[in-house]
Amino acid sequence: MNGMREGTMAREAISWAVALAWIAAVLFILMALVGAPFGDALAAFLQNAFGGRRFSYLMATLSRTALIAGMAVSVMLSFRAGLFNIGGEGQLVAGGLVAALAALLLPGPPLFVLTASILAAMLAGAGWALLAGVMQLYVGVPLLVGSLLLNYPIRYIASYIVAHPFRDVQSGMVQSHLVPQATWLPYFPGTRLDIGLLFIVAASVFAVVYSRTTVHGYHARMNGLSPAFARTVGLPVRKLTLQTLAMSGAIAGLVGAIAVFGIHHRYIDGMLVQPLYAWTGIIAVLLVGMIPWAVPLSGLFFAAIQTGAAGMERSAGVPKEIALVMQAVIILFVASRVSGALVASSERKAGAADDA
Amino acid sequence: MRVALSGITVRFGALTAVDNASLAIEPGEIHAVVGENGAGKTTLMNVLFGLVEPEAGTISLDGEEMHWASPQEAIRHGLGMVHQHFMLQESMTVLENVVLCAEPVGRFGFIDFAAARRRLAEVADEHGIAMELDRPVGRLSVGERQVVEVLKMLYREAEVLILDEPTSVLTPLEKDRLFATLRSFRSAGKAIVLITHKLDEVMELADRVSVMRAGRLVRSGPLSATSKEEIARGIIGGELPPARQRTARAPGKEVLAVRDLKVAGRGGTVGPLSLSVCAGEIVGIAGVSGNGQAELIQAITGLASLLSGEIVLCGRPIGHLDVEDRRLIGMSYIPEDRQRMGLALGATVSENANAGRDERAAYTRGPFLNRAAMAGFARQLIERYRIRVGGPAALASTMSGGNKQKLVVGRELARDTPLVIAENPTWGVDIGAIDFIHGELMRMRDEGHAVLLVSTELDEVLALSDRILVMYSGAFAGEVAGAEADRERIGGMMTSRAAAALPEVA
Repeated sequence: MNGMREGTMAREAISWAVALAWIAAVLFILMALVGAPFGDALAAFLQNAFGGRRFSYLMATLSRTALIAGMAVSVMLSFRAGLFNIGGEGQLVAGGLVAALAALLLPGPPLFVLTASILAAMLAGAGWALLAGVMQLYVGVPLLVGSLLLNYPIRYIASYIVAHPFRDVQSGMVQSHLVPQATWLPYFPGTRLDIGLLFIVAASVFAVVYSRTTVHGYHARMNGLSPAFARTVGLPVRKLTLQTLAMSGAIAGLVGAIAVFGIHHRYIDGMLVQPLYAWTGIIAVLLVGMIPWAVPLSGLFFAAIQTGAAGMERSAGVPKEIALVMQAVIILFVASRVSGALVASSERKAGAADDA
Repeated sequence: MRVALSGITVRFGALTAVDNASLAIEPGEIHAVVGENGAGKTTLMNVLFGLVEPEAGTISLDGEEMHWASPQEAIRHGLGMVHQHFMLQESMTVLENVVLCAEPVGRFGFIDFAAARRRLAEVADEHGIAMELDRPVGRLSVGERQVVEVLKMLYREAEVLILDEPTSVLTPLEKDRLFATLRSFRSAGKAIVLITHKLDEVMELADRVSVMRAGRLVRSGPLSATSKEEIARGIIGGELPPARQRTARAPGKEVLAVRDLKVAGRGGTVGPLSLSVCAGEIVGIAGVSGNGQAELIQAITGLASLLSGEIVLCGRPIGHLDVEDRRLIGMSYIPEDRQRMGLALGATVSENANAGRDERAAYTRGPFLNRAAMAGFARQLIERYRIRVGGPAALASTMSGGNKQKLVVGRELARDTPLVIAENPTWGVDIGAIDFIHGELMRMRDEGHAVLLVSTELDEVLALSDRILVMYSGAFAGEVAGAEADRERIGGMMTSRAAAALPEVA
C-alpha cells in the first residue's frame, strides 16, 4: 500500500515536470517567433507578477486576486450545492452599481454610508441571484440558462444609469461621479493596496467554515453530490437552493462593492465586465474542484498569470496578443494537469467500489 | 462456433474481478454462468464481448486467438450480447433499433429499409418471433424490449449469444417463451451463454453450468453431472441459510391508506389505485417492472405530485405535504436506486447515515455539525447492521453493493417509523445480505410496523408478504392472501403483451 502511494506520488511529480517542460517549450517557441529574448521575458513575467519597486506589482496582483478569488468563492458555494449559477457577472455588476449609487445618494457619516452601501450591494447581488433561482423553481427555466441570461439586462441597466441619470458629464467618460472620498477603502500602511483584500479573506474563511462545519453546508453538499438523494431523504431542497444562491450572490455583490470603494471609487461602464472577473472566477473554481481552501489560491494563480503577462508586454517587448496566448497556454497546461490528477483520484476511488 | 476463454484475469484497481478463469463455450449448447452479484460473471462475459480488456488471458474462436479492440469487432465475428440494461433508442422504431450500426446500404448511400425488413421478417419467422417492426421502442413493455434485443442479435447473425440476467424483467409466461426461443437457437446450432443467479432456470434450461465465486471459476461441467444443491453450495461457498419461519399475526390498525390515486407516468396515467397497509403486516406489490410501481411509490413518498386521489398516513392526509413532512409523520423509504437516491456516493458513510435524520439536535450544535456525534451514529449502524466498511469516514462508494444497501436499510429502519416502504430492497445484493435484509423487514413487521414491499422478484414477494397485490399496466390486477398465493396464479395476473411476441411453448 505504502509503495503504491509512493509510486503514485512519483508519477504525479513526473507528470508535473512534463507539463512544466511543455509550457517552457511552447513559450520558447512563441518567443522565438516574435524575437523576444527568453530570459528577459521570463524575468519580466516574474517581476511584474510579484515584484516591482516596493512590490508595487505584487500589490497589483493581490488587488486583482481579491476580485477573482472573491468571485471564485461565490461560484464555489453554488457549484458545491449542485447549482450551476454562472450569473456571477450579473450579480457582481448589480453589487457594484448599487454600491456606487448608495454611496452617492445616502447622507450621513462616511463609515455609515460605506457600511450601508456594502450591505446594499450584497443585497443587490443576492437579489439578482435569487431571481435566477425563482425562475428555476417556479417557472422552470434551468438555472444554467436563467443565471446566464440575467447577466445581460443588469449590464445594460448599469450602462444606462451611468450613461444618463448618474453620469459624470464633465469627465467625458461613461462613468458615475466619484463616491465621497471619505468612504474610500484605506490602503494598507506603506502600500498602494486597499484593504478590500481583507473582506475577501473574510469571505474565504467564511466559505471554508461554512462548507466544513455547518449543517447548511453539509446539506448543500449532499444536494450537490446527488440531488435525487437529497430529495429522497427529505432535505428542504427548495429552501437550500434559494438560500445558497442568495449567499453566493451576496458575495458577488460584496466583490462589486470592493471594486468600487477600493479600486475605481466610482462605477465606470464595463469596469466589472471587461476584465472577466466572474468568468476567471469560474475557471479558478473548475481548476481545483470544490476544495474550499484551494479556491483562493487558485484565484491568486490566475491573477499572477494575468498581471505577469501584461508586464511581459510592457518591459520585454512581447506583443500583447502573444502575451495573451502565453497566458492561455499556461492555464491550459496547468488546468489539464490539475483536472487530470482530480479525475485520476476519483477513478481510484471508483475502482474500489464493485457495484456492477 | 466454439469459443474458448483461457486464464482470463481482470483487475479494477485493487479489486480482482476475474481471477484466472478458463471456460469453453460449445455450439448447440446452453451454457449457464451462475454466481452471486459481484462474483465476476458479467465482467467475464464483458471480456469475451470486448467491453473490458483483460489483464491476462486469451480469447479464441474456433482455435484462432482473437484480440478485440472494441465490441464492434466482436459483433463482426459473430458474438452478440443482451445486456441487463437494454441498449435501445426509445424514440426510434423496432426496425430502426435493430438495424442501427448494421444498416444495409442501398443505392446512393441511403439505408435500404425494405431489404432490412425482409431479412428481419425471415429470421423472426425462423424462430417464431412475432413483433410489429414500426412501433417506437419507447412504447414497448420491458419484456417486448428484450425481444427487440434478441432480434438485434439474430439480425447480425450472431453465432454466440450472451444473455445477462434476461429473466429479471419477465413474467413467468414471458420467461417460458424466451426459453423456448433459446431452445430453438440451440437446435439451430448456436452457442448460448446465460448469465443468471436463479438456479431453477439453470436446472430447467442449461446443458452445461459454470459457477463463479469471488472472481474464480469454482466449477464447470455438464448439468447432468451435478445437482442443484451442489451448485448452490458452489455459489455461496457453504451451506444455505435455513428457510424463514413466519409467525401468524393479526394485523393492527390501518397505517397507510391510498384512495383512487392517479399519477402521471411515462406511458400515460397510472391509476386509479387504492390500497391499505395495516400495522404488523407486509403488503407486497408484485409485477414486472415498469407497470406503475415506481409512480405509485413516488406519489406516496412525495417525490412526484398526484393528479387526484388521497393518501392518508397515520390518520393524516399527506397528499399535499413535501417529502420531509411525510417522513416526519412516520414514513421510511428504502429506494430501489441506492446509487443515486439511497446514497450520495461521493460523501462519507457518516454523512450518508445522518442525512435526513429526524432528531437534529442529536448531531448538531446550533448551526454547526457535531462530527463526533455523526460518526458515533454511523458506527452504531455499522455494528447493528453488520456493514463491512472501513469506518464512518470511508466514502460510500468504497462499499460493495450489499453493504451499500445495508447502510440504506439501516438508516431508514433505525428511524423506527410506523410505515416502511421498501422498493426492490435486495436488488443486486448477495445472498447473505438478502437474507439479512429479509430478516430485518420481518422483524419490523413482527414489531408492529406496516411494511409496503414492492419487488419484481416474485420469490421475494411470496416469501415475505401477508397480502400480495399484483400490478399490471398502471392498475392492480388482483389481490391474493400470502398464505394461498401460488406462482402460476400471480404469474397470470402479471401477463403482458410481450408474451404474444414469442412463440407458444410446445
